[in-house]
Amino acid sequence: MAFVLSFLLRRLSQGLVIILLVGFVIFSLLRIIPGDPVRMMVGPMASEEQVEEIAAELGLRDPMVVQFGRYLFQLSQGDLGKSFIKNKSGASSAGGRESQGLDNKANVLDLIISTVPFSLQLAGLGIAFALLFSIPLGIAAGLRPSGIIAKIAFAISSIFVSLPNIWLAILLILVISTNLQWLPAIGYKGFSYTILPAIILAVELSAVIVRALSSSVTAIMQESYVQAGVVRGLSMGHMIRHHVLRNSSIPMLNLFGAQLGGLLLGSMFVVEYIFNYPGLGLLTINAVFQRDFPVIQGVAIITTAVLVLINIIVDLISAGIDRRLQY
Amino acid sequence: MAAAKTPLLSVRNLEVTAHLRRGDQNVLSNISFDLGAGEVLGVIGESGAGMTVLSRAIVNWLPAPLAVTRGEILFRGNNLLNMPEEDAAKLRGKEIAYIGSDPTTALDPTVPIGTHLTAKLMAVKPEMSKAEARQRIFDLFDAVRIPSPKARFNEFPFQFSGGMMQRVMIVDALSADPALLIADNITQPLDVTVAKQIVRLLNGLKEDFDTSIIFVSSSLPMAMDISQELLVLQQGKVLERATPQDLISNPQTDYTRRLIEQVPRIWEVDHTPPASVSQKPILSVQNASKTYHTKDPDKVFGTQAVQAVRGVSFDILEGENFGIVGESGCGKSTLSRLLSWIEAPDTGDIFFDGESISAMDAKGIKNLRRQFQLILQDPYTCLPAHKTITQIIGEPMVIHKLAAGKALKERVAEVMQEVGLPDDTGNKLPFQLSASQRQRVNIARAMVMKPRLLILDETLSSLDQLEQARLLELFDKLQKEHKFTYIFISHDLALVRRACSRIGVMYLGRMAEVAENEELFFEPRHPYSRAMLSAMPTLEKNRYDAATCLLDGEPPSPVNIPPGCSFRTRCPDAIDACGKVDPKVTLDGTTQVECHLFE
Repeated sequence: MAFVLSFLLRRLSQGLVIILLVGFVIFSLLRIIPGDPVRMMVGPMASEEQVEEIAAELGLRDPMVVQFGRYLFQLSQGDLGKSFIKNKSGASSAGGRESQGLDNKANVLDLIISTVPFSLQLAGLGIAFALLFSIPLGIAAGLRPSGIIAKIAFAISSIFVSLPNIWLAILLILVISTNLQWLPAIGYKGFSYTILPAIILAVELSAVIVRALSSSVTAIMQESYVQAGVVRGLSMGHMIRHHVLRNSSIPMLNLFGAQLGGLLLGSMFVVEYIFNYPGLGLLTINAVFQRDFPVIQGVAIITTAVLVLINIIVDLISAGIDRRLQY
Repeated sequence: MAAAKTPLLSVRNLEVTAHLRRGDQNVLSNISFDLGAGEVLGVIGESGAGMTVLSRAIVNWLPAPLAVTRGEILFRGNNLLNMPEEDAAKLRGKEIAYIGSDPTTALDPTVPIGTHLTAKLMAVKPEMSKAEARQRIFDLFDAVRIPSPKARFNEFPFQFSGGMMQRVMIVDALSADPALLIADNITQPLDVTVAKQIVRLLNGLKEDFDTSIIFVSSSLPMAMDISQELLVLQQGKVLERATPQDLISNPQTDYTRRLIEQVPRIWEVDHTPPASVSQKPILSVQNASKTYHTKDPDKVFGTQAVQAVRGVSFDILEGENFGIVGESGCGKSTLSRLLSWIEAPDTGDIFFDGESISAMDAKGIKNLRRQFQLILQDPYTCLPAHKTITQIIGEPMVIHKLAAGKALKERVAEVMQEVGLPDDTGNKLPFQLSASQRQRVNIARAMVMKPRLLILDETLSSLDQLEQARLLELFDKLQKEHKFTYIFISHDLALVRRACSRIGVMYLGRMAEVAENEELFFEPRHPYSRAMLSAMPTLEKNRYDAATCLLDGEPPSPVNIPPGCSFRTRCPDAIDACGKVDPKVTLDGTTQVECHLFE
């Protein structure tokens, strides 16, 4: 258990540094790129003085380091700040005349908390679809790397990886939702609204998982202990169930930590936008369009934290499966 | 068919073919032999004779492109080759067990040893309960003398040394009481003292288990130790079968005679090993030590101190051949890194020609490197793959700006000729050369700058006997011409016996003994030197009896070095003081020993 403790202490402190660095990069980039958030808040009709007044009130004209320091102080108290644009009621008020000051604006944390469950549901279903499809296919392909299943798996993953998710989304909406009317597509009024976007995510994930799983199963099958096990008197089925799958799960876990997190997040943003799905992705994309700095920063910090945590968990599980990783 | 008359195993006209793109090639042809119940048959030959293919064929584990193309393998009268799969599955692991040469890759490293062994036992003996299987394995761990069996049962394969792992594989093979055990080169990767213990162990077990054994070995003395009869293979054919005594006294073929001649002789040698020529040390090691720190998963932020070299002192005299011998993990590779100053020692110092290397600046050390060169073991990985041989050999001259253009070319050509590389190799790439040619390239690269000291770290280990002899001749010739000093670092006692004037014996990071060649082999002082000699596989009568000189057990881990003398745990002569006080070096001219018996 000493290993787990020192591992967690080390990795969590490293993770904190990563989150701070990402936070600072996002924070400064937002302030360097063109587009004044105050102009978006007050609308094109407001005078230059009004803009400057509100900007000063929000602290946006202070030196960047001062602003970041203030942000970190807030952050340490669990406060991600308030949205520039979104009202507590949920309505956006960009350009509205009444929208001066932040008194009735929504808390960033509340905005994130209210959208995260939708995104988790989408991501969870997407991963579940992807695993249901790719684990049997990947293992079957890996066990017989020159067989027909391997060729089919290779073709499928090649096609999947080259399908643009935007195109596929629009096609599925057109065919399944509009023409066949099997599943709803736009917005969210119940669980069935998650299925179609989850399929889009699954297609993209499956392409990577099938390839990675089949090649790691093939590689483990080459290990001499697999054949040696059969000579020792164990059945090939036993060797596959107890040893091949166990060992090929480690590269799979690493794939989840290192790549799938990013891939999932990236495509989830696009998919949520296309389906107008009320998750974290849609919140972020709208915030980017509206230069809603606090929301963008909050999402960046929360997602970085989630990715860091996923990686820590993945490495901990890997070290539990293969003890050599503890050294 | 009368059971009494049917041999346990009967191989009839076995032919194994490799289906290669350039055509079929026979790997085994017309092999026939019988093995009765309880018999031990040794199979010997040079590497490449087909010994492993034969043992793999019997357990039906021939890797592609190899396949049996003719013949029968009858086990209790039933042909293993055309038996229905369900019948074959009943024999595998239960009646016929196999142990291979590399125990470290035989088990899934992510699963504890005990789980592997009980799973196998319960698979081949479904009537056994889990508790019974565990008990059986504990008992067998005791029988093969694995210390603290209950704790080791839950440890993982990577936590076992090669020798302990081979014991585990023996337990795994014998747990189901097989009628036939195939031991395919099981001592090959092990150090001499450990290999000797394994053979001794198997010799004892064969009585208790009434198992027939096919003992495949490329070491004739090792196979003689355990076998009732020996089968000699050459290029996939059986040359002769005889009892060990008959085979030695009356070999029937030239090939067998050659096999016998190739067994190194330690004591009955007719050549005198080279003697030191000078009393002036060229390299002087003074109290050098090196500790590495690795992660310790049992402590929060803990590290383990691996004490690889623990304060060694010795001199290397100008013009001599100094040998450093020891078994795996004794610190000889770390010492070679210190000697060649790839790493600096933590404490102590090394003097070259009387000058302290640690006191030198980077430029001084770079200049000094022209004087001593390191030649490594593996001729495949230490040459850059995309440079021509001429470029490789000339590179040190370029780095040290010693020659360029025509002068460089001439020097490289000169060196290539000296080491016996044909002229046309100059424009080739390393992959086009044979192993021994590559090793010659290594030697040429090291001597192109005319160094004074060459450090040979297992340089000859990967080469066969004949090539070793040729290179030793070359070293000898070069030494006479250029007055080189050599340090031979090796695990091979026979090699240092042939090549070295003085020899240092390392054990667990210490220099246990430094002695003249004759003295070390005829009058060794340190008990470890004696133990190592007693474990040497030789055909001559060993001067030292393993039964009295060699204790069981393995070297302790360099992480947990026992207090007092570190060899005490394996020493048959240990006295009270050994457990408390670390012995000091006792010097006697150019020889030294670290042992309480000599203080």
